[in-house]
Amino acid sequence: MLKTLLDNDRTFRYLLVAPAVFFILLIGLYPFIKLIIASFQNISLFDDIRSFQGLLNYERLLFDDRLWHSIVRTLLFTAVALPIELVLGYLLAVLFLEKIPFKAALISIILLPTIISPIVAGATWRLMLDQRFGPVNQIISWLAGTDVKLLWTVSASLVWPAILIAEVWQWTPFMFLLLYAALSNVDREQLEAAQIDGASWWMTFRRIVLPAIMPVMFIAVLIRALDLFRVFDLVWTMTQGGPGTATETLSIYAYQMAFREFEISYSAAIAFLVIFLLTVVVVAALRRVEVSR
Amino acid sequence: MYAQFVKNTRHILTASAVCLGLLGNAQAQSAADQAVEAAKQYSGVTLNVLYEAGLQPLDPKNFTGPLWEELTGIKINVIESPVDQMFTKAMQDYRSGSGGYDLLNVIPNQLPDLALAGALEPLDDYVDKYNYHEELQGIAPVYRDNQMKVEGKIYALPDDGDVLILYYRRDLFDDSANQSAFQEKYGYPLAPPETWQQFSEIGQFMTDTYAPETYGAGLLRQPGNAQYMFQERFRVEGGKFFDPDSMSATVNSDIGIKVFTEMRAENSWMPPGVEQWGFIEAFNAFLAGDIAMTISWPPVGRWAAGYGKGTEALNWIPETKVADKVGYALPPGGTPELAVGFSLAVASGSANKEAAYLFAQWMNSEEISLQRVQLPYALRDPFRTSHFASEEYRSRWSNAGEYLDVLQKGAETGLLDLSLLQTDRYEEALRQAISRLWSGEDAKKILDDLAEDWDQLTKRIGVDKQKRVYADWASKPDAYP
Repeated sequence: MLKTLLDNDRTFRYLLVAPAVFFILLIGLYPFIKLIIASFQNISLFDDIRSFQGLLNYERLLFDDRLWHSIVRTLLFTAVALPIELVLGYLLAVLFLEKIPFKAALISIILLPTIISPIVAGATWRLMLDQRFGPVNQIISWLAGTDVKLLWTVSASLVWPAILIAEVWQWTPFMFLLLYAALSNVDREQLEAAQIDGASWWMTFRRIVLPAIMPVMFIAVLIRALDLFRVFDLVWTMTQGGPGTATETLSIYAYQMAFREFEISYSAAIAFLVIFLLTVVVVAALRRVEVSR
Repeated sequence: MYAQFVKNTRHILTASAVCLGLLGNAQAQSAADQAVEAAKQYSGVTLNVLYEAGLQPLDPKNFTGPLWEELTGIKINVIESPVDQMFTKAMQDYRSGSGGYDLLNVIPNQLPDLALAGALEPLDDYVDKYNYHEELQGIAPVYRDNQMKVEGKIYALPDDGDVLILYYRRDLFDDSANQSAFQEKYGYPLAPPETWQQFSEIGQFMTDTYAPETYGAGLLRQPGNAQYMFQERFRVEGGKFFDPDSMSATVNSDIGIKVFTEMRAENSWMPPGVEQWGFIEAFNAFLAGDIAMTISWPPVGRWAAGYGKGTEALNWIPETKVADKVGYALPPGGTPELAVGFSLAVASGSANKEAAYLFAQWMNSEEISLQRVQLPYALRDPFRTSHFASEEYRSRWSNAGEYLDVLQKGAETGLLDLSLLQTDRYEEALRQAISRLWSGEDAKKILDDLAEDWDQLTKRIGVDKQKRVYADWASKPDAYP
């Protein structure tokens, strides 16, 4: 029987990949199942109770204002940061399509922020924006001709712009890199033909450039959107979610619940909610791409 | 200077241990010597010790660790953690059963949570076995009576005399022109403030007189630090955290609103950006002569006086410009916050509990602790009656005696940090409230939200359970002035 199985090409292929699939499932699925189980329990670091409490944690999610505020904040941040990064990244990419001196060196320098850990980037920006020693206030003071003391990470009106600046600084180069690669592959002959036919910039962009770069741009947007939705390190190092909960994103809230409030089960429910939301978004987005193909 | 200090101390202690060993049982051994003798059976063991990251671990890394290894053969491995994650790490280690830590530095108001969860080993049997009761009595009462036991059992050895003290520029306060101008304006003599109103008036006066070179004061405003200042000031003004009957939070009372409003108003005459100041910023500014007053932990008083100057571990500290000008006093209200502090506790999951206890007893003993609190870089502050009275310590700088007297007074009148079940969660809500205060939100709204958060927490933990714990804490003489 074994011989028959091995003789079957298809079965043989499955048998070959089975161990790898098993380990992937073990590594990926086991924590996920544990997470789901924990979300139905009442686990806290403060006691030994492990009792099941049904859907209580999920019911709590529905009425947890702080959670929904953090989701809205995260979505708004994503909605603002993503287009800025996309547009700036695109403009940079277009600029670098031209012949400019020291192009390779300049691209390497531009890409530096993306290879820095977000924790380090956040800490750096916190120092840059420091009211007393930070160069940002000093430059603004110099430009304004008067002593400017902006409390970037304390003032409610400045704290989001501060985070946005850091975020855009770090991740625009990522957009630039992918879009630059995509733009470099746009068919030159089509562009020249459009130019000869007298097509406007907008028509050329919409009819030739955009369709050509769309698959790459879509992936770039999707990756950044997912990252922005899960943003933690940068915000944590700059504000720890403050003042109050003004910059508390969904990931920060989940962290607070798990490691400051020690509500392990509730934070598992939040984590499941995040996984669910992201899965819905990713599946919908991928389907859209499939349809558009 | 420091290397010589450690070398001499090591030689003296090693020689003492050898001499005492030779004398055998002819004389009763000190707690330190008993610990050393008993610990020798564990020679070759490595103890994992959890310490707050930063300067704190330099004591076990540079001084007690090597010395202990020399005396007993037990190696000390220091594991560092940011202070706000120490509780989480200790608890996670216990829950996971990994036994990663042998000895823990525990923040006293988190002691009940850790002990009741089972993360700490009761120490009574060890204390009996190694005759440590008598030396425990030498610990200043406020630490001994409040930072050692949970439900009648010893779980930790109080090991740090943390207290928030007022440091002021004596030269500016003693200046005759300032004296007369202040008297004329406010109708009372210029002296270290005894009330918060005086603090505000003196601060404003100094700022009006000297800013921008020197401001009236710079206080700890980062929420993690400022919460202790709020806890103290709220109680000094007569506030109570909870209604003892209903366990409803009363932090949003008129007193709470007054304190919050005043705290924010004071920022206007403090250095710009004070809202971001923590321990480092405040002591930097005081040492640089940028502020006339600050309230902070004891190391500021030592370093401002120039103690530890030239020590390699302290080379990051700016040279003090106020060395001979520092005055020490209790903060307004006269009942300083015993903010944070550390006690030494043995992890229940440790595989080397007795060895860990013996190391703790040895470090905590009269003999060794006196050396530790005098380490120039130490963040361990005097916590034994003998530390305050030590002639050696009192001769360390010109007014070290005054400094130690004020610390001792603080230890007598100090206020305990709020301690409840799951205290850290209440503190976290308070920290968030303070960060909202600096961002400009309405004080009443913030405190109403804080009270609601605290009530929700209490409900989740269990009102009756928490009520009992609060009643126990509030009944202590050092809970409220």
